[in-house]
Amino acid sequence: MRAFLWTMLSRIRGVFGARRLDDDFSREVAAHVDMLTADNIRHGMTPDEARRAAIVRFGGPMQIKEQQHDDRGLPFIETTLQDVRYALRSIVKYRASSIVAIATLAIGIGAGTAVFGIASAVLLRPLPYRDPDRLVRVFETNPLKGWTRNIASPANYADWKTQNTVFTDVAAYEQFSSNGSGAGDVFLTGVGEPQGLKALGVTGNLLNVLGTAPLMGRTFTDDETFEGKARVVVLGYGLWQSAFAGDPAIIGRTITLSGRTYDVVGVMPRGFFFPGRDVQIWLPVAYQPSLFVNSRRPHWLGVVARRRPGVSLPQAQDEMTSIARGLERQYPDTNTQMGVRLENFHDSLAFEPRPALLMLSGAVGVLFLIVCANIANLQLGRAVTRARELAIRRALGAGRGRLVRQLLTESLVISVVGGALGLALAAGAGTVLSRFAAAAVPLFADVRVDRSVVLCAIALSLVAPLVFGVLPALASSTPERLSDRGATSSRSTGMLRSVLVAVEVALSIVLVVGSMLLVRSLLRLQDVDPGFNPDRVVAFTLTLPGARYPNAQARLLAYREIERRLREQTGVQSVGATSTLALRGFTWTGDSTVEGRAPTDYERELRHQSVTPDYFKTMGIRLLEGRWFDDRDRIDQPPTAIVNEALAKKYFRGADALGKRITYGRPTDKNPWITIVGVIADEKQDGLDKPAQPAAYASIAQQMSNPLTFVMRASIPTDSAIALARQQVGAVDKDLALTDVTTMQAVVDESMGDHRFRTTLLSAFAGIALFLAALGIYGVLSYFVSQRSRELGIRLALGAKRSALFALVIGQGIRPVLAGAIIGLIGALALTSVMQSLLFGVQALDPPTYAIALALLGTIAIIACAVPALRATRVDPLVALRDE
Amino acid sequence: MGDARSEILQGTLDLMVLQTLEAMGPLHGYGIARRIEQVSEDALQLNQGTIYAALLRLQQRRWISASWGTSDNNRKAKFYAITRAGRRQLAEETANWSRIAGVIGRLLRLSER
Repeated sequence: MRAFLWTMLSRIRGVFGARRLDDDFSREVAAHVDMLTADNIRHGMTPDEARRAAIVRFGGPMQIKEQQHDDRGLPFIETTLQDVRYALRSIVKYRASSIVAIATLAIGIGAGTAVFGIASAVLLRPLPYRDPDRLVRVFETNPLKGWTRNIASPANYADWKTQNTVFTDVAAYEQFSSNGSGAGDVFLTGVGEPQGLKALGVTGNLLNVLGTAPLMGRTFTDDETFEGKARVVVLGYGLWQSAFAGDPAIIGRTITLSGRTYDVVGVMPRGFFFPGRDVQIWLPVAYQPSLFVNSRRPHWLGVVARRRPGVSLPQAQDEMTSIARGLERQYPDTNTQMGVRLENFHDSLAFEPRPALLMLSGAVGVLFLIVCANIANLQLGRAVTRARELAIRRALGAGRGRLVRQLLTESLVISVVGGALGLALAAGAGTVLSRFAAAAVPLFADVRVDRSVVLCAIALSLVAPLVFGVLPALASSTPERLSDRGATSSRSTGMLRSVLVAVEVALSIVLVVGSMLLVRSLLRLQDVDPGFNPDRVVAFTLTLPGARYPNAQARLLAYREIERRLREQTGVQSVGATSTLALRGFTWTGDSTVEGRAPTDYERELRHQSVTPDYFKTMGIRLLEGRWFDDRDRIDQPPTAIVNEALAKKYFRGADALGKRITYGRPTDKNPWITIVGVIADEKQDGLDKPAQPAAYASIAQQMSNPLTFVMRASIPTDSAIALARQQVGAVDKDLALTDVTTMQAVVDESMGDHRFRTTLLSAFAGIALFLAALGIYGVLSYFVSQRSRELGIRLALGAKRSALFALVIGQGIRPVLAGAIIGLIGALALTSVMQSLLFGVQALDPPTYAIALALLGTIAIIACAVPALRATRVDPLVALRDE
Repeated sequence: MGDARSEILQGTLDLMVLQTLEAMGPLHGYGIARRIEQVSEDALQLNQGTIYAALLRLQQRRWISASWGTSDNNRKAKFYAITRAGRRQLAEETANWSRIAGVIGRLLRLSER
């Protein structure tokens, strides 16, 4: 064994020092022969005789040297290196087709790797928790309210936690916004400028359920969940670095958040996040214990549980469902039809982006196949021009296996070069995409080039030559006689190339149809009226700290003062504020009673929000009926509401809503009646692709809300408007900070971000596919024309019309296109039906889409055919015949 | 084929080279070839070049070492010497060889009867 290892080592070394060792051995052989010659002379031979005899005696120095060379190194590797050198030479020789092959491969591998990078960051890379696969997200479901994955109420959460036997523990965190991770804003003061932070309220056991050990200090304890013990925080690594310069003595330090003091008890390690990377600090929810007993109607908790070892997800689901049934019987008032849905925690985070990412992964796979088919086509074309070279090599004794091996090595070299470029491309694209894809890639995912991405590029580079290299290598190494015309091989390779073109066309059609569907969806989406005018409106959120603004009166004064100051600035046309910004999707909802209906007949899921009177005007929302809010809607006046059109239609079924009365809550709650004073056109809430839901607006004078999002329409540039807002807010209270600063146009764009992302990518893939298919068609047809220029010349000489030749060539080229198109259409019909969930306002079987895709492909195919066909008509019969 | 010279087995040549180096000390390829021919009283006449395949094999296994030196008549030549691992191997092979030779000898004697 030892001897074997030494031998291998020595052979490996032999590969690298081959030339030096060859020289060394030549000298040794020379010395040997010299000594033998000298001895022979001493035995009486003449010098010439002596030398000849010595060489005979030695036994063929050349063979011995070659044998020695092979024994010394690794002939397999050396042959490969030789093939690689040869491959590099032929790549340089056939420069044009090599560059096309390498470039298309770089695009194919680059696109594949980039998409894989995103998909792996979102779907594959394990979350930074202990045994992340055992973590489960628990949702409430309720068909009555249309909930499939809803956040939970505190009392339901508490009952789940105490009654189950399938989880080691159940934890919860607050979700007060659908923006980002659902984290709220707090203000860090006393450390430099006041700083808005994303803070997440969690139950004391949450970080323990996740199971990630803190970098320093500790996590929370169970009793820190409750008010009175909860003035503690755990910092994220990023915040610890940025705000506290990585202070090693941070544990035990007291910091001020929104006017209250907290003790820092822990710092989480770098790379930890929960549930998104935007959360900078975690603090206990600080509830009264009674809340977990009584609060069953409002829902605001995200619930995470850890499965016990040996308990499967379906088992856990079964037990949780029976617990939910029990709660339903016990609390029919709140829990009727309230079910539970369990999801693997990672899956729940990746729930929304998954379909688009899977679709893009599939698309990029198809693109990769097209790239391979295209290169195979190129290689075949080149093999024909190389037929002579290959025939000579065969004549010199190269076996078929040897030729195939050498051609495959060439493919591999092209592939590796293309793969390296592709990886560089993917790395570059990654940074562009992650900025561009910010809205499409969820907050928890960190898109970067890691080992798995590099491995993906390597795998693609190695697989590609198998796909595109084997067929041409086999086809072009078939034995044939040494002829400079390659006429025998052209028939079978010509057929093969037509098949490849058909494959390319078929695959391209699938991509083109898919991307056309997405493009049409996006166009539909862009045409949707958001219900407001986003032009020149900036938005920012303010949170008044409860410590200094303890009641509605104080808050109203502060918000009004800020609004008044902003309104008076030059360049500002209008200012308003709302508790829920359009298209951000999150708001409080609840049951609602309509005056005059039966006591059991009430509405569910009414959205309520509070606004300042100028909110509607600033946003450009249209008033359909009635009036805006004004000074009449004071706290000491009967409550009033402005409702949206969706509510007017649903609650009053076409009758006039104006002057009617509704309440929040059920008939039995006997809440005060609210009079409808105005009806506005719907503003979009959850997204441009979702219909508006019934909503009622109250004036903040009657129904205070905190935080509020301000909207400001200004004729000055966005940056100046934001600076102005900062300055005026600071003038009212220097410890207030603006958060979520944006423009309404950006909010609209962001809401379409994932649509735009997948549409752009898929369209790019389809465009490349079409281009490659055209290249394939062109290549095959050009070859056809050049091979048959003699025949075409004869036909011309015999009086054939040029237009007939044109038709002949076009007919030849269009045949594989038609075959491919038919197969592709069938494939597209089958494949795009899985895309329905990604579409908006377009059916997967949308006839215009198919028509456009076919027309597009037809046009491109005809252009690709026309160029060589024109060349065919310009054949000069004399030149063509003389060429022979 | 009636020839007094015999084909020799690969392993046998290796063993002969090792034994030669053990007995004679460092030698160059020509020296080793000459010595084997002399010892076998020219019964074994090999193409002297084949000795180098054996020398390479033994070197790769680290049973012999090689270095350039000067021969008796002032010629540059590569000298081979047996290593400690080589001696171990030689001892093993020698024992092995005697055992096999004994067995074959007995076998041949038996069949002669």
